[in-house]
Amino acid sequence: MLVQFLINGIITGILYSLLAVGFALVYNTTRLFHIVAAAIYVFAAYMFYLFAVTFGMPVLVAAIVAITLTMGLSLLTDIAVYRPLKNRKASNNVAMIASIGMMTVIVNLLAMFFGNETKVIDNTIHRSFTLGSVIITTPQMWQLVVGGLVIAAFLVFIGMTSWGVRFRALSADSVLYETMGYNTAHTRTFVFLMSGAFIALASCLTVYDGGFDPHVGMDVLISAIVAMILGGTGRFGTCILGGITLGVLQSLAVYQFSSNWQNAVTFILLLILLFLRPQGIAGYKQRTV
Amino acid sequence: MEYLLHIGIMLCIYIILVLSTNLTVGMANLLTMCQAAFYGVGAYIGTYFLMQFNLPFVVIALIVMLATGLTSLIISYASVKLKGDYFILGTLGFQMVVYTILYNWVNVTRGPYGIPGIPSIKLLGIWSLTGIYAYFFFSLVLTVAVALLFSYLQRSFCGRMLKACQTDEPSSQASNQSIAKVKIGAFFISAAFAGMAGLVYASYVSYIDPTSFTFDESIFIITALFIGGVGSRVWGPIAGAAVVVILPELLRFVGLPDAVAANLRQVIYGLVLIVLMFVRPQGLLGDAKLKQEPTPPSVEKPAPAKTSPYTNCSKE
Repeated sequence: MLVQFLINGIITGILYSLLAVGFALVYNTTRLFHIVAAAIYVFAAYMFYLFAVTFGMPVLVAAIVAITLTMGLSLLTDIAVYRPLKNRKASNNVAMIASIGMMTVIVNLLAMFFGNETKVIDNTIHRSFTLGSVIITTPQMWQLVVGGLVIAAFLVFIGMTSWGVRFRALSADSVLYETMGYNTAHTRTFVFLMSGAFIALASCLTVYDGGFDPHVGMDVLISAIVAMILGGTGRFGTCILGGITLGVLQSLAVYQFSSNWQNAVTFILLLILLFLRPQGIAGYKQRTV
Repeated sequence: MEYLLHIGIMLCIYIILVLSTNLTVGMANLLTMCQAAFYGVGAYIGTYFLMQFNLPFVVIALIVMLATGLTSLIISYASVKLKGDYFILGTLGFQMVVYTILYNWVNVTRGPYGIPGIPSIKLLGIWSLTGIYAYFFFSLVLTVAVALLFSYLQRSFCGRMLKACQTDEPSSQASNQSIAKVKIGAFFISAAFAGMAGLVYASYVSYIDPTSFTFDESIFIITALFIGGVGSRVWGPIAGAAVVVILPELLRFVGLPDAVAANLRQVIYGLVLIVLMFVRPQGLLGDAKLKQEPTPPSVEKPAPAKTSPYTNCSKE
């Protein structure tokens, strides 16, 4: 029974990791509190629904289309809101309020077109795999395999190329970054496209076998932020550490208490962590941001 | 008319909430995401005392403010210890913990079922507030009193100390001021008044459930403050609260199609927020400088000798 909960926790943790990477890509490079990520998550879910259910495309094709469109939306957010604000030298607080505005707009536009009620993409009962006493459903298998592969690919990418350092360089000093001959705008474009892809992938994997409505984004985003903080800010690999830790701990909380107290455990943990070790499990020691 | 009075009462409650937020966000530059948690704690503690004891408003209000103020100690501890985004996350965590407790501790808070039939406030123990008119005038008087108090607070020694912390924390620390004490005081007062707003809300609506005190509500209060103007003394928060409370109501009369009216109102609200941040990032009546510019090297002439060096402090 405990093993089952651990496995469930790891699978949830992989989804948290994807989201945390999506958020951290923007946060680590631009220091923006990217609240629009909540809306981007919901947008991906609805695009997936639109193509898979309304237009009846094969699930895989629908997912790819949804992810592509979501990447576009992520980039659009940057071009339409963040970059102009940055050019006006607006503070991060101002950008955050604008981000909240943008999230409200996207979420409610989606609600206008699709309705506020809960949508389900696929509610058939899937075949499940049994390994000893552990049961894994087909969607969970997808989450484990696809999520795991993407995370592995991302880690290799960050480790083998100079992009990880470049993201950090951009966040530390964008003027100096440009002086070194890099194009800030291109790097930002890349960051936002990639962030959109990660969030959309997590969204598609999650909503495939669960219902969703236009307002789920915020809770998901908060979990992603907690995962990022838990692992440690300033780096990317730590997001995965944090995501999986969070998933397992939440799962254990469900095992030990009940699912009602899952969130309380998460956030008490966050508070304790912030007080004792604000840089997270493996982050750089930095308190002032 | 009752509709207008209802909006008036809600406006008063939000003015108190936004004013209390302005004390910490505007003066000390500590962006709190948990004002709704204090609002909720106040509402629930107030409800308990309203239902169990037959006490006059002043006594209940003082108990509620004290209790809510005590819960704020967690956040003020965080504010001393954490900086920048970490502090925002700490307040977010606190907000979520409070909400989860209100929602799940069913034995005490009745959780999602809410608490119905909250008795109305008794002024001086005998005269119970009945009817919407009485509530309107009561909350109006209360709001004016709170606004005057906050206006005084911000001009007072403590307010200036907060402003000093915001502007230059190390140097105010160097001038032998205990920043921790000032921050704790500011959060105590801020939380206490948010709690009082909760008490007024609970007794006015006579039914509370945790969904009124969510993270979204905290964001709503913060956006109200940013719309009005962060750091301005009293009029900024009042204007902000007025916009967020009255704008959705005005949009009711524009004649939007019914099916999408609620969502369309939110879309318009979001757009207003974005446009405002472009056009007037300091808010409608704000004076705080929110641009992140490196301070230019001082080329101004030294101030005329007859003005004391401290006069700059009084310029808000």
